[in-house]
Amino acid sequence: MNTGQYISGVAHIGLIGWALIGGVFQPAPEPFEVTEVSVISNAEFDAMMTSTTGPSLETDLAALTPPEPDATEPEAPRAENPDPAPVIAEPDQTTPPPAPETAPDVTALLPPGPPAEVEDVAPVLVPPTEAPVTAAPENSPTPKPRPVPRVAPEPVAAPEPDARTDDIAQDQAVDDSTADAQRDQQEQTVEEEAATEIVTEAEQGASSAPSRSVRPRPRPTQVARPEPDSNTGTQDAVANALAEALATGTAETPKPAAPSGPPLTSGEKDALRVAVQKCWNTGALSTDALKTVVIVSVQMKPDGFPETGTIRMVDAQGGTSGSASQAFQAARRAIIRCGAKGFKLPPEKYEQWREIEMTFNPEKMRIK
Amino acid sequence: MMKQFLTLLLAVLALGLPMTAQAAPLRIEITEGVIEPLPFAAPGFVPENSAARQLAQDLAQVVADDLAGTGLFRQIPDSAFISQISSFSSPVQFADWKAINAQALITGAVNLESNGRLVVKFRLYDVFAGQELGSGLQFAGTQDGWRRMAHKVADAVYSRITGEGGYFDSRVVYVNETGPKDDRKKRLAIMDYDGANVQYLTDSRSIVLAPRFSPTGDRILYTSYETGFPRIYLLDVASVRRRVLEDQTGTMSFAPRFGPDGQTVVYSVTRGGNTDIYRMNVSTGATQRLTSAASIETAPSFSPDGSQIVFESDRSGTQQLYIMDATGGEPRRISFGQGRYGTPVWSPRGDLIAFTKQSKGRFHIGVMRTDGSEERLLTASFLDEGPTWSPNGRVIMFTRETQGANGQASLYSVDISGRNLKRVKTLGGASDPAWSPLQN
Repeated sequence: MNTGQYISGVAHIGLIGWALIGGVFQPAPEPFEVTEVSVISNAEFDAMMTSTTGPSLETDLAALTPPEPDATEPEAPRAENPDPAPVIAEPDQTTPPPAPETAPDVTALLPPGPPAEVEDVAPVLVPPTEAPVTAAPENSPTPKPRPVPRVAPEPVAAPEPDARTDDIAQDQAVDDSTADAQRDQQEQTVEEEAATEIVTEAEQGASSAPSRSVRPRPRPTQVARPEPDSNTGTQDAVANALAEALATGTAETPKPAAPSGPPLTSGEKDALRVAVQKCWNTGALSTDALKTVVIVSVQMKPDGFPETGTIRMVDAQGGTSGSASQAFQAARRAIIRCGAKGFKLPPEKYEQWREIEMTFNPEKMRIK
Repeated sequence: MMKQFLTLLLAVLALGLPMTAQAAPLRIEITEGVIEPLPFAAPGFVPENSAARQLAQDLAQVVADDLAGTGLFRQIPDSAFISQISSFSSPVQFADWKAINAQALITGAVNLESNGRLVVKFRLYDVFAGQELGSGLQFAGTQDGWRRMAHKVADAVYSRITGEGGYFDSRVVYVNETGPKDDRKKRLAIMDYDGANVQYLTDSRSIVLAPRFSPTGDRILYTSYETGFPRIYLLDVASVRRRVLEDQTGTMSFAPRFGPDGQTVVYSVTRGGNTDIYRMNVSTGATQRLTSAASIETAPSFSPDGSQIVFESDRSGTQQLYIMDATGGEPRRISFGQGRYGTPVWSPRGDLIAFTKQSKGRFHIGVMRTDGSEERLLTASFLDEGPTWSPNGRVIMFTRETQGANGQASLYSVDISGRNLKRVKTLGGASDPAWSPLQN
């Protein structure tokens, strides 16, 4: 049987070889096509190549597109138009700076006018004071101290309206036949109202009324501690044990039963981190500020809003004091801007995030 | 069993912890932000008299153009404003500006006095912090200098927000080019950094090259072919008077650049087919030869502290960058990438060196650290060359030339991040820019 296959194989190979070598499939050669190649001169070849590699400015320009900033989450609707500025801004040739086309008159090149003198002192520019909140109908007018012209060592409260003002304050005495000792009938007198200092309206601070009503605290949600699951791994067991121990410790303190709850999960921390970094814009920071790590502390309200007045720089590493200040400002803007709608934090764990320390590390944001 | 033991152990440990552990703040680390232009609002400045009405609008526009032109800021159009600034000294309604996401607000007032004196005041507000950033400033000058005053306002705003110096109140000297490529007229011109206020410093009878400012911006070094050979001239900007700096027969001198002291000049001299670097004191005229290799050494540039010089040399067979002491000595090579490196310029901040790189038939402007590390190419085109630094070391201006017989040279600028590439407005062709320091 093998013999038959061998014979067949040899026969096939022979047949195929004959077909290839014998030129069965090759048409008669056309030698003149070959010589055509040698006819082309170098000059012609160069000319041909240069004409085919015409410059494409658009390609050049397109290739220059600088790296776009990392894609960012779209922010709150922007009121302005989308920025249509192209990467390569061609100057407006219709409004070029005027220039003489003739040979320049050298005398005309003499000092281009005295340079603008600069007065860096600004004594007149006192920061404008905040206007008192006047058009706030929902706020009851804050009781203001009455203008008191009289100054005394000790302040005297405003008198009752129907009492006579006198130098000595006396209680009213009326006829009372039942009393043991009869006093002379005496009209009530009070001392004239007085204050320890003169306070003019201009010196009064702005309204101390809250600019808006305090949001009601959220209803305490049920603190549901996760049931220890015997099937979870050691890590969960450790976390549960820790939480339980900590909860026990808190319960023993005399402090009011503020909701504390277990520590924030890594998911909750990540959500906060993402929320802040959406607003952390390092685009306008100096290269020095981009080398500065700042740690910023902020107090939080129970409803998840940051107390913007409490934002402060705890520490700064790297860079100069100036760059630390810029880095802090960018960090503060991030907290205020993204905190304007409140951070989504679990209210039952308020004690855990009452104070937050955020480390802003721009290492990945540096110019690469 | 093990788990129960662990639980017990942890419970005991936790109870032993001081109760203050509960008050520890929550700590998170933020490592990834966004890079986007900072939105700002610059409502037209308030004219304090009727004569200043037009100037008030123009000033605010120049300030806004300066800031937006950096690519670091984005102007919010006036049509989006909720409230207007009608008085310079009235308090700002921050909520109205927060609502349109204006993170910085610039207000100003302009007064044109009867004697022609122009007074410009401005304030900058950090809207989200609800407070003024820095205190108000006031500039005064002649009416002709209104653009400079606008640039000064923009510089102050820029530096208060970014923390680094501005560069708007500066000028650029360059070579103005007119006519076809085979008969091109070249003359020195000086302009504001944004292309305004062009003035010409030389006529176009002879070819001029490579102007360079002195550290104070009052003098300019340049190379001219007035005598048929390249010679270095020193020109006083205010009087437009000039003198030949280096004139040895049988030599060619070119590529001059000032040292930071304003007295020392480094340049190249070609004698007998060999090009080397020399330094000269412009007051005394004393010269000193700094290199003596048989190869071509040229394009020297001082470090800002004046202690070192970076230059290009082909001593290794290809054109590369080297650094040597300012008094000469053995140079050390800093560029090792593929291609040819030339025209190195030390950044005014001292941390980077900008250069032209030719590789695979393309030209690039790039920057590297002074030890040659962290090389970054910022541009690529048919022909980019001759970088010059902005006074604050943040922006590079250079020459870009287009291909072909009709190719024209023009000036471009790019941020050192590689972003914000744009053409600088000039009338006609322009090449060889050199950026001045900030004006006083």
